[in-house]
Amino acid sequence: MGILLLVKIGWRNLWRNPRGTLLTALALGLGLTLLLVSLGLLDGSQQQMVANAVRFGTGDVVIQAQGYQDRASLELLLPAGAVSKSQEYLHTEVLKHVVQGMSPRLLASGLLSSAANASGVNLMGVIPREERTVSLIPQRIVEGKYLNDNQQSGVVIGAELASKLAVKVGSKVVLMTQEVSPPRTEAPDAGGGEMQSTLLRVSGIFRTGVQAIDAHVIQLPLPEAQALLGVPGRVTQVAVLLEREEDSLRVAQGLRKQFMGVPVEILPWRESMPGVAQLFLLDEAFNYVMNGVVLAMVGLGILNTILMRVLERRYEFGLCSALGLRPVQLAVMIIGESLALTTISLVLGLVLGLSAQHYFATAGLDLRWFFKSSLPTALVFDPIIYSRLSLTRIVSSVGIVFLTATVISFYPAYKAARTALPGALKVF
Amino acid sequence: MDRVSRLFVSQSTIATMEMQITKKGRQRRISMQFWSLDESDILLRIRSPQEDAGTAILKVGNEIWYYLPKANRTVKIRPSMMMSSWMGSNFTLNDLVKQSRLTNDYTVATSFEGQRDGVAVSEYTLTPKPTAAVVWGKITLEVRQSDRMPVWQRYYDEDGKLVRELSFSEYKTASGRLIPTQLTMQSMGKAGKKVEKTTVTYEKIIFDRPISKVIFSPRNLKP
Amino acid sequence: MNGRLLRLAWRNLWRNPRRTLITMAAIGFGYAMLLFVACLMAGLRHQMIESGTGLVLSDVEVHAPGYYPERPVDQTLGGPDGTDVNALVAAIAANPRVQAASPRVYGYGLVSATHQSAGVELLGVVPDQEQKITVLQTRMVKGSYLTGRMPKGVVMGDKLAATIGAKVGSEIVLLAPAADGSTGNDLYTVAGLFHTGLDAMDRGLVLMPLASLQELLRLPPEGIHEVGIKLHDDDITAATTAAAALDTQLSKTLKVQVRAWPELAPELADYVQFNHRVTFILFFIFFLLAAMGIVNTMLMAIIERTRELGMLMAVGMRPVQVVGLIVAEAASLAGASLVLGAAIGAPLLWYLQVHGLNLGGNRGAVSLGGVVVGPLWHGQQDLTAYAQAAVGLAVIALVSALYPALRAARFRPTEALRKI
Repeated sequence: MGILLLVKIGWRNLWRNPRGTLLTALALGLGLTLLLVSLGLLDGSQQQMVANAVRFGTGDVVIQAQGYQDRASLELLLPAGAVSKSQEYLHTEVLKHVVQGMSPRLLASGLLSSAANASGVNLMGVIPREERTVSLIPQRIVEGKYLNDNQQSGVVIGAELASKLAVKVGSKVVLMTQEVSPPRTEAPDAGGGEMQSTLLRVSGIFRTGVQAIDAHVIQLPLPEAQALLGVPGRVTQVAVLLEREEDSLRVAQGLRKQFMGVPVEILPWRESMPGVAQLFLLDEAFNYVMNGVVLAMVGLGILNTILMRVLERRYEFGLCSALGLRPVQLAVMIIGESLALTTISLVLGLVLGLSAQHYFATAGLDLRWFFKSSLPTALVFDPIIYSRLSLTRIVSSVGIVFLTATVISFYPAYKAARTALPGALKVF
Repeated sequence: MDRVSRLFVSQSTIATMEMQITKKGRQRRISMQFWSLDESDILLRIRSPQEDAGTAILKVGNEIWYYLPKANRTVKIRPSMMMSSWMGSNFTLNDLVKQSRLTNDYTVATSFEGQRDGVAVSEYTLTPKPTAAVVWGKITLEVRQSDRMPVWQRYYDEDGKLVRELSFSEYKTASGRLIPTQLTMQSMGKAGKKVEKTTVTYEKIIFDRPISKVIFSPRNLKP
Repeated sequence: MNGRLLRLAWRNLWRNPRRTLITMAAIGFGYAMLLFVACLMAGLRHQMIESGTGLVLSDVEVHAPGYYPERPVDQTLGGPDGTDVNALVAAIAANPRVQAASPRVYGYGLVSATHQSAGVELLGVVPDQEQKITVLQTRMVKGSYLTGRMPKGVVMGDKLAATIGAKVGSEIVLLAPAADGSTGNDLYTVAGLFHTGLDAMDRGLVLMPLASLQELLRLPPEGIHEVGIKLHDDDITAATTAAAALDTQLSKTLKVQVRAWPELAPELADYVQFNHRVTFILFFIFFLLAAMGIVNTMLMAIIERTRELGMLMAVGMRPVQVVGLIVAEAASLAGASLVLGAAIGAPLLWYLQVHGLNLGGNRGAVSLGGVVVGPLWHGQQDLTAYAQAAVGLAVIALVSALYPALRAARFRPTEALRKI
């Protein structure tokens, strides 16, 4: 008998027991669904973790003065014009969909006092609408409002700092800083400029959950910071956030070309925040393990389903042999059946999987469901995980399930082809 | 008004003073010597108690050094240390070495004129100018009408709560000026309870005697 | 009746050994995998907690009321007169949950070597006792850890040393506000440098002998700020319960506030909770797969045994009993799978705990949010998780068997008997 006929028979075999077939297909398909959903969630949470870390820090790519990464000295500012140059490059057509935002910042330290207390702070002079596209602080405001672009003066401070200084929204605080003067080589830690004090009113209070930020970081309008530090038009760094962190290296390289010969360092996040990079690698390794486990579980499920389905039909196969079907042909028929079944399952699984994935990609999985903790902590990261599934992942998942199912069906096909006839025909 | 804030300001000042700090029922006494020049350079040397004797603080322009006798070392300090309480007292280094002109930062209004406790006084209310870099909501100041000597100065936060009170007493003449030689800073805790107190008493104070700039050098901090 | 039903159910399973074995293998392996993951996750949690609390923080801290978080230097345990330190530490160590306890003194101030000065936190410890509760001594990169022989020897982070221009053997000045308000200052020698990978520590911590710090801060020998405690079990709930127990115990004689690490390091607690949740998700996947497997198996079984079941019902077996039979079969299947899974899993668990899983050996340690995690993951037995998985599986098995069982119960004997 021709292969085609065998396959046709195989197909029809499937439909002799529609309910059974559908159930099996569902079981197989569910395996694929689970694979897709868990991969999506794991990938998504990993990317979110990086995105979060990057947004609390210096972004996917950071442009700063040469040597800043090592020394973080207040006098190391970006050369004038660096901001506009980077803006020019980052806003080109080519990069429009790659870059999510860029924020120039002036960083310094100072002392913030209220009537009740005083505390050392790390201040960031920012442009509110740009900072919103990059940093997470604007989204973690718990009281009052974040800085807006029309404001000339104002400050947002962390919740811990607010409590230490016993201030609320609208309270007066005085920021004292030292004017930045260019480093002098003969006496590197000599002097510094004039002490400047300025009055600020608390516009908003944020809570990020990261103690170091909530107790020490304050943000104020860039022009105000520049005036305070005596460095009009200058900034310390430009933080760039991309739509996908995978583009970090590419964008950094592109920027470097723009800044040839200029003493700046342009670093992708893995270099500017090595701690986060390592955490990412660790998380990646962790995900591999998890993926492996899920795959194994799904594989076992497939094994169970297919073997069960095929091994139970020895009687039927015995009959086929008795009717003249050669072993090879029997094997082909069985494999053909399996292939057909697998295909149906994959389609089912894909449909279910992709819709579930889509749901989690938009609405996200709210971990708070599972949170029975009574700990009064602010979560550092978003409790909602959004699924992110790349095409590669989908293709590989489908491929793996298909392969597994097919390979597994060889065994019963082989066994069936070698089964002795008489035994198989016995009823009951 | 300016007179009040300029009470202690002069070309040069040499003084011997004693500071008494009362905190949580415990008392500490520090005695020190003080030189200042041109409102920018200041040198403080501690004479007693034993543990702190010999410690010196020098401010020249924007730089501050500490000399530590036990370690026999001079250490440079960031100016932001100026705003935290000095030696555990209610004065910050800023208070001691920097005198701001009140009229620069505040608008003055007379809030009371008349008799209090048998003394004719004037009370002024100082409201910070909108852009003044001060943390206070308002400051009230009582001055004796007879000799324009300040009696007390009260610092309020923006909610109208009294945070600290500076009282003046022991008026004496020094180098031709009449000044209060005892200043007490009392800080208020929650619910207006008196919490800590620091009293500075000038035993001796001389204005406008020429001082050599040489003493204001970190190299000369070691005795 | 139940006993007989179960035995019948068990025998029925083995009438088709291949099918039973395949399903058992699938579910059993799944369970083994779950055990593996639970163990790994527990180990990871433990490592996170250890690294978060093992360097300086410690599992539980005992303070005078109002000491934390501002840490005023004069607020010692037992008030201004202090307390019998040795007695207090001994009393704490006597608690069965406590592995070790160590007294500590804190200060903050300035450290200066040549020109540059830097603001630092000062921590005074008794080296022998401190080493029982934290592991900073394993992070030395130059010189040596604190010893009793060098009362003026201090240990600091390598980045701090670089900032102020100091090396091992350098003389440094410490300047700190003392408990009586004066400014404590003295000379010390750098005995060693450590590297933890945590910026806050490498740049801002100086460790020194307790007695020396007490001297610097003008504290009496009875004046300490804190007792750091290491527990036997440091998971979130265990730590919080231990802290509460200690609070009750100590409050009888001393005014204290006892805090467990989840309160002191909420970010760390968040990460650990997250870890728990991920484990939960995997459990969920496993249960789903197991359910599918059981439904599939049972359905096939009853379809195949239509005739047999029909016969049973014809001779008087009531539908309810049929349901019972099928459910019992499913339960036995699940039970056997669990045993198989545990058997497969046990060596895996042993391996994980003793040898650990090594991922990317030379990537070095990682730090974020005060947590440093190395690339070698050791497992930790998480019996609660194992039990939860087993119970969950049992429930799933019973629930999954209901549909096939109900179908079987609806067989009409005459029709069933007609089928081949």
